[in-house]
Amino acid sequence: MRAIYIALNEVRLYLRDKGDLAFSLLLPIVTVALVYAAFGGETRFEGDAYVVDEDNGLYSNILIDQLEAVDGVDVELLTASEADAKLDNSDVLLVLFIPENFSEDLKSGEPTHLLFKQRGNAGDEGQIVRSIIQGVVSEINKEFTVRSQVAEIVQDRGITQDQIENNVQELLAEERARPLVGVNEEVLGGSSDFETQFLPGIVTMYVLFAVSMTARIIVEERRNGTLERLLSTRLSVGQLFLGKFLANMSRGFVQTLILLVLSYIVFQMFTPLTFLQSLVIALLFTAAVSAIGLIIASIAHSEEGASWIAVVFSVICFMFGGTFFQVAKDSAFYSISRISINTYANDAFDTILTGGGSLANVSTDLLVLVGVTVVGLMISRYLFRIVAGGK
Amino acid sequence: MAEDFLVATDLHKSFHDFKAVNGVSFSIAKGEIFGLLGPNGAGKTTTIRMLSTVLEADSGEIIIGGHSVRKKAESVRALIGVCPQELALYEDLSAMENLIFFGRMDGLNTRDARAQAEEYLKLMGLQDRAKGRVAKFSGGMKRRINLAIALMGNPQLVFMDEPTVGIDPQSRNRIYETIEGLQSKGMTILYTTHYMEEADRLCDRIAIMDGGKIIAMDTPRALKAQLGDSEKATLEDVFLNLTGRSLRD
Repeated sequence: MRAIYIALNEVRLYLRDKGDLAFSLLLPIVTVALVYAAFGGETRFEGDAYVVDEDNGLYSNILIDQLEAVDGVDVELLTASEADAKLDNSDVLLVLFIPENFSEDLKSGEPTHLLFKQRGNAGDEGQIVRSIIQGVVSEINKEFTVRSQVAEIVQDRGITQDQIENNVQELLAEERARPLVGVNEEVLGGSSDFETQFLPGIVTMYVLFAVSMTARIIVEERRNGTLERLLSTRLSVGQLFLGKFLANMSRGFVQTLILLVLSYIVFQMFTPLTFLQSLVIALLFTAAVSAIGLIIASIAHSEEGASWIAVVFSVICFMFGGTFFQVAKDSAFYSISRISINTYANDAFDTILTGGGSLANVSTDLLVLVGVTVVGLMISRYLFRIVAGGK
Repeated sequence: MAEDFLVATDLHKSFHDFKAVNGVSFSIAKGEIFGLLGPNGAGKTTTIRMLSTVLEADSGEIIIGGHSVRKKAESVRALIGVCPQELALYEDLSAMENLIFFGRMDGLNTRDARAQAEEYLKLMGLQDRAKGRVAKFSGGMKRRINLAIALMGNPQLVFMDEPTVGIDPQSRNRIYETIEGLQSKGMTILYTTHYMEEADRLCDRIAIMDGGKIIAMDTPRALKAQLGDSEKATLEDVFLNLTGRSLRD
């Protein structure tokens, strides 16, 4: 019970320190904002297709609908004068003009022409959009060719134009849904998404910050003079350390929780289940890191000393833990990386987020984290007793 | 003759090659105010740290309330309160929160801790500032809170390590009155100070330490009598006569 009270007091002190509170809560928000600003949450092409529809007929609408159906393309309709003004000001670099009588000409079998107006080479985005539009137009051309050929074959058999149109539409829709030649994607070296690949590393990096916070707590009590006072009460060293552990684990977990919730909202990188599984991993990792922080706290005699040991420890973990890069399983570096605690958290996150695994698949990683927590708490208490200046 | 509440026998404590405490023995009777005087570095604080279970003695034995500090530290801690030389407070908490927190650490439930906190804040003349943040208190107010915390849990023995250092006469006087009131209720007190008139006023017996050893121990009157005229001699004369006039670190 005294351990809980120590933890609650620690949390109360943390909440009273407005600067510390603001910094620790805003940091995850700023991090997600920076990642979002840098990568925009986009991993594939996204562009705008500016279109002037002077026809406003059946086939121009079909063309526009098909353009809007293309992934990553947003169609923005302009009037001719708006388009010219924007081109003059270089606000846009490419505009598609669908001429008057476009639908009428197509219906009557007359050739017709679309017009691209562009500034210079239309820029990278313009060139990509133009290719996409040309692809769509080519598709429409083929469909018209098919319709004409079918109509030619079945002429004089009493089949109406509407029947031909409906049947051809059905067949084309079927072909679009199940193309004869499909294209699949195989991503090498992990996911192509930035957030899925790197956010677990950012999360583990954040949790590692908790080492520094925890490493300083005993030194701060010593500096305040409250450590000796606490040790002359009925509070045992074990209760003191358990209370500090609970407080710092809670603080680190709240920070991580903010980061994960923001990642969920901004990057949509979780399902409800993977989110809950990630919380379990984050909680156990925070516990392990807090226990390691307590080991440092039990041997450090100054805040500077505690911070330096924590920084060196964290850097070693970053370097060997494969935080922002993948380590090949058959390499010597892989064996070395096993000494870094965040390796296990990274592996667990990776398995859950990109491998489609469950907590059962990462049980070994989780057991390592639990083991580090238990052993860390025992060692920290022992060291506190034997190191000069301790109990 | 009252029974001894604290008995320290042949205490030794070294830090590397430095002998901080070197064969200190004394006893304190129940209800007695025992003064431990000495120049800086004499070993007073180290002795108190050993008596209060915070520091383990290299050798020697300490019995408090019938319990061995070495073997039954937990039982000893239930009997003692410590008012350390340095302020030992959470500055971001209020006076009341500080007292309740340390009361809880001494085994009180929240209700009892609150009741005792109110009582001791009133005793220290701080009942109106109970909810004020300690960081905004004056030095004298902090000293009084520091002492009030030592009284939480109603200990039978309180170690007071220079509780009046650096405060105004009003606060100092309030602390004197508090200590005398506590003694009248049967509390045993070990008191260290550099103010000789303070020791003369409060202490029933005094031990003077230097170089880690007790070099004199008796009542203030008997110590002053050693210099000849106990009416004219002061405790400071005795102190300087025993410890010399050379400056200490």
